[in-house]
Amino acid sequence: MLAAIELSWYPSLAELGWFAPELALVGTIVVILVAPLILGRSGLRSARIAFAGALVTLLLSVRLVEQVGGGGISGLAPESAAGMLILDKLTILFKIILMLFLTGVTALWVLGSSEKEENGEEFFVLMIGSALGMALMTSTLNLLMMAVAIEAASLPSYAIAGFDKRNRKSAEASVKYVIFGGVSVAIMLYGISLLYGMYHTLNVAIIAQGVANDLAAGQNTVLISMSLFCVLGGIAFKIAAVPFHFWCPDVFEGAKIEVTAWLSVASKAAALVLLLRLVDAFNIGAMVAGHSILTYNGLAWGLGVLAAISCTWGNFAAYRQSNVKRLLAYSSIAHAGYMMMLATIFTLPGTTTSGKPMAALMIYLIVYAVMNLGVFTVAAIVSWQTKSEDIGAFSGLGRRAPWLAVPMVCCLVSLVGLPPFGGFIAKYWLLLALGSKMAETSLAPLSWILIIVVVINTLISLFFYFRIIRTMFLSDDQLPALSPPFLGTAMANLCAVLLLLFGVVLINEPKELADRYTGDMYKPTVVLTSKDVPINAPGDMQVARSVDESDAMQIPALGGAQ
Amino acid sequence: MIAPKQLVRSIALLTTIATFVLSLWLIGPFLGAGSADAAGMIDIFGSSYGEKLHFVQRADWITSKNFTIEYFVGVDGLNMPLMVLTSFVGLLACLASWNFESWKVNKGIKGYFALFLLLETGMLGTFVALDFFLFYIFWEIMLLPMYFLIGVWGGARKEYAAIKFFLFTLAGSVLMLVGLVAMFFYSSEAVTRYASLATSYRPDVGVLTTGTFDLIELATNQAIQTYFNATDTYFLAKGLQFAPLMFMFLFVGFAVKLPAFPVHTWLPDAHVEAPTPISMILAGVLLKMGGYGFLRLCYPIFPAGGHHWAYCLACIGVISILYGALCAMAQTDFKKLVAYSSISHMGYVLLGVAVMTDAGVQGAMFQMIAHGISSPMCFFLVGVIYDRAHHREINRFGGLWLSMPKYGTMATIGFFASLGLPGMCGFIGELWVLLGVFAARDTFTWAVPMAILAASGVILTAGYILWLIQRVYLGPSKPEHAKFPEVTGREMLILVPLAALCVLFGILPKHLLFDFTNGTLDLIVKTMAAAPERFGSLAAGL
Repeated sequence: MLAAIELSWYPSLAELGWFAPELALVGTIVVILVAPLILGRSGLRSARIAFAGALVTLLLSVRLVEQVGGGGISGLAPESAAGMLILDKLTILFKIILMLFLTGVTALWVLGSSEKEENGEEFFVLMIGSALGMALMTSTLNLLMMAVAIEAASLPSYAIAGFDKRNRKSAEASVKYVIFGGVSVAIMLYGISLLYGMYHTLNVAIIAQGVANDLAAGQNTVLISMSLFCVLGGIAFKIAAVPFHFWCPDVFEGAKIEVTAWLSVASKAAALVLLLRLVDAFNIGAMVAGHSILTYNGLAWGLGVLAAISCTWGNFAAYRQSNVKRLLAYSSIAHAGYMMMLATIFTLPGTTTSGKPMAALMIYLIVYAVMNLGVFTVAAIVSWQTKSEDIGAFSGLGRRAPWLAVPMVCCLVSLVGLPPFGGFIAKYWLLLALGSKMAETSLAPLSWILIIVVVINTLISLFFYFRIIRTMFLSDDQLPALSPPFLGTAMANLCAVLLLLFGVVLINEPKELADRYTGDMYKPTVVLTSKDVPINAPGDMQVARSVDESDAMQIPALGGAQ
Repeated sequence: MIAPKQLVRSIALLTTIATFVLSLWLIGPFLGAGSADAAGMIDIFGSSYGEKLHFVQRADWITSKNFTIEYFVGVDGLNMPLMVLTSFVGLLACLASWNFESWKVNKGIKGYFALFLLLETGMLGTFVALDFFLFYIFWEIMLLPMYFLIGVWGGARKEYAAIKFFLFTLAGSVLMLVGLVAMFFYSSEAVTRYASLATSYRPDVGVLTTGTFDLIELATNQAIQTYFNATDTYFLAKGLQFAPLMFMFLFVGFAVKLPAFPVHTWLPDAHVEAPTPISMILAGVLLKMGGYGFLRLCYPIFPAGGHHWAYCLACIGVISILYGALCAMAQTDFKKLVAYSSISHMGYVLLGVAVMTDAGVQGAMFQMIAHGISSPMCFFLVGVIYDRAHHREINRFGGLWLSMPKYGTMATIGFFASLGLPGMCGFIGELWVLLGVFAARDTFTWAVPMAILAASGVILTAGYILWLIQRVYLGPSKPEHAKFPEVTGREMLILVPLAALCVLFGILPKHLLFDFTNGTLDLIVKTMAAAPERFGSLAAGL
């Protein structure tokens, strides 16, 4: 295993170019750390550097799209997945969304914390560090890299969750997060070690074939289910799917609101993309090994049940909350549940439905990021100005700050998933993706059940989202008017307008974008991989190499030592 | 936001007037739109459902590899009168909002009229949309303005009423969303399986090759119809037939809106708390969407489902009629009484549709329009007296006719129309429905008892309305009511057209309504009637 790599390897400049967005993030971290040594400490400057760093990363990612070109540098076929990192359009799209969201969260920090916060440098170093981890999470199918990326995303998150040092709740949140996170990752590593022990590789694509063979033969089923459960449990912790969600409300409540906004979207998004990628790899593994994708029937039902419980539980639990951040925590659990349903769609490469779940996920993520940014912006401004995170602080907001209340309504209605806002369209594409496998598999009842679960949950969620709307418009405790900052108001209104656009005119565009960026997941042409694939695949599991060697641009794994 | 406060009312009024005039403008071309044939006859309805649509606008809205969602609007005999009714009631409700400044909650006038106009947009859009997706969007767009209009400007329990309205309607429409997704995938399956049958009603499309959201296409394409209504097309699990299940998914949404027993409970609350103009719109227009939905979506697309559930729906209709009337009789709140009478009246719509005969469906349609005229009038009459007395307790009124003679006259016309007095609009609809139920007696075992029960609803209606008139308008004048000012010019401006229409529709039902609607309705009934013979098992061959 270890001997497989030529140790004399150095990446060339061109090869490093593939890694440019991540390098830009690392560079931003360095600049933020070095700048105070020369120019003195200033939180605001760090924020600016972080903002600029995010934009540079964004531009570099966009530039990569053209370089990835026709087929993309994709890693889903078994032979390509052997590498440590995958670069395909999906990861690029994810980085673009992540960076846009990072700029939004940075702006939120500038609004609320730049004056009080003394440790802006450290904050942004950790923030960007976690962003780096999330970017890596979405671009790997190697179990080791997956664990490392999850840790890279989690460790800074633990720290920023407890960043409000003077707040007991913040410290509590951080400790809870660390303990839950540590245990989850340990369980996941145990699952990984079991898989490695069975199949002698960390490459998910090869493991998937082995698993398919074993399941078809009826061997090792207990061991396989247990190890898969452990691995998925680690991911479910990041997604905060029920029953791995217990950290979520406490952390969201304790952390500063911009951190809550960040965690509610970014870390869940990364984990969901990773989950869908894994599931797809398992499908393809089954196909390559010559089995029906129904080999994984149990996996689909398991994920489906988990997702259904998540969204139902999240929506019911949210109803009892009086703290806005806790309420939004449960709301994010519910939305993660909706998105997780997409992981139950097993598709075959080359069929009309291939890529659909991932495309639907990306659309949902885009809209979800906008909705949450808008909601958190308003919630943040209200809680800063009233020094209260209780729903009561919203009382009469329609009169006190109409320019905050109206976009808040748009975002909340969109979170419910009603037209004419983007939330409905996102949900609609999600339902279409769920329904689309109807003709193909015997899993159709599962997807129709999930569709019904989604629509019923829409109804349940109406209760608590409308509690905020009701407080804003239908009750008035005669609280004094707010003086919202211009930037914050502008941001909230921008989010609302975007949601309206997504819901009425820009319906196709996100779909086309997502299709374009996820359609190539299944057509590996260029491979970012180590030079010797497959590594030590057991003899009975030799992989048919369908990609022409001369076409494949072989690039050594970055930082990989197998 | 831009307009100064005092202008807001005028702008809203001008807008609603313009909408109304424009909708009237369409009537002429609608009637003459068909080309005269050799005999000089003008055929505005065509020979099959969906053949003749007027004022059609189509534009691709969402295009994907597998389907196109269109901005597709148009009118035929089914939605043309409803559209005119909507703009008419909208105009009157806008006039009824004119005294906004004297309301208990009189702040936020701009918000009020903005939401009001948004609501009217949603209503008109729902009636004219012929693409299921577009229909659904408009359907849901109405919810939010209605929520705020009740929740902000409503009475004492406005929050409860507003969220209850929202929840009930949304509960119905989420199942519709499942139907929307399912119908798309099943239609796309249908056209691939039965490509030879999949000729579209649109010449420019030819043979349909993809799934569709086009309501006319779903109802007329033979491939889709065959697959949807076959007895062995299943949904979710083997044994659950597609057509009856989908029919129910759609039906629940419309039944909530109608509202039919047992999902009617939101209506009395919403009406009691809503301000007068919103009650007028709620009763006059929103309830009609339920009936419209049956006739546009449920029955033409899933005739097999209609046959499957016929008894069930007719029973619900009869129960609604009787239960609504009995509840109305027990009320002491004036507005609640009118609200329950709406439930009773809309029960006739459901009954008429459920028996699927010509007369039944025509009567249902007439009843919708008649109720759309009489119920806003009743609600406005309640509003007029509430503005003066600031309470709605029936038993505390009495002798109002003496202090307000003009108002008393108008009230009598309005409530008699609602009662279904011969010569007034309410009569024709109920009579036609009853005739339709009798006409179905050959195929419908329980038709006669049902008709008798429904007819007894008329007696109950007469009971509570006459008793109401006696308690409120007749008798000796009470001193606390003696000084009530007579209805103002603005109030007369609203009442007189409604009163005139109540009478005119009773006298000239054919010219005012049946000529507009019956052509299309007959085509729909023809499609439904043929259903049992047309559709069987797919396995048995086509």
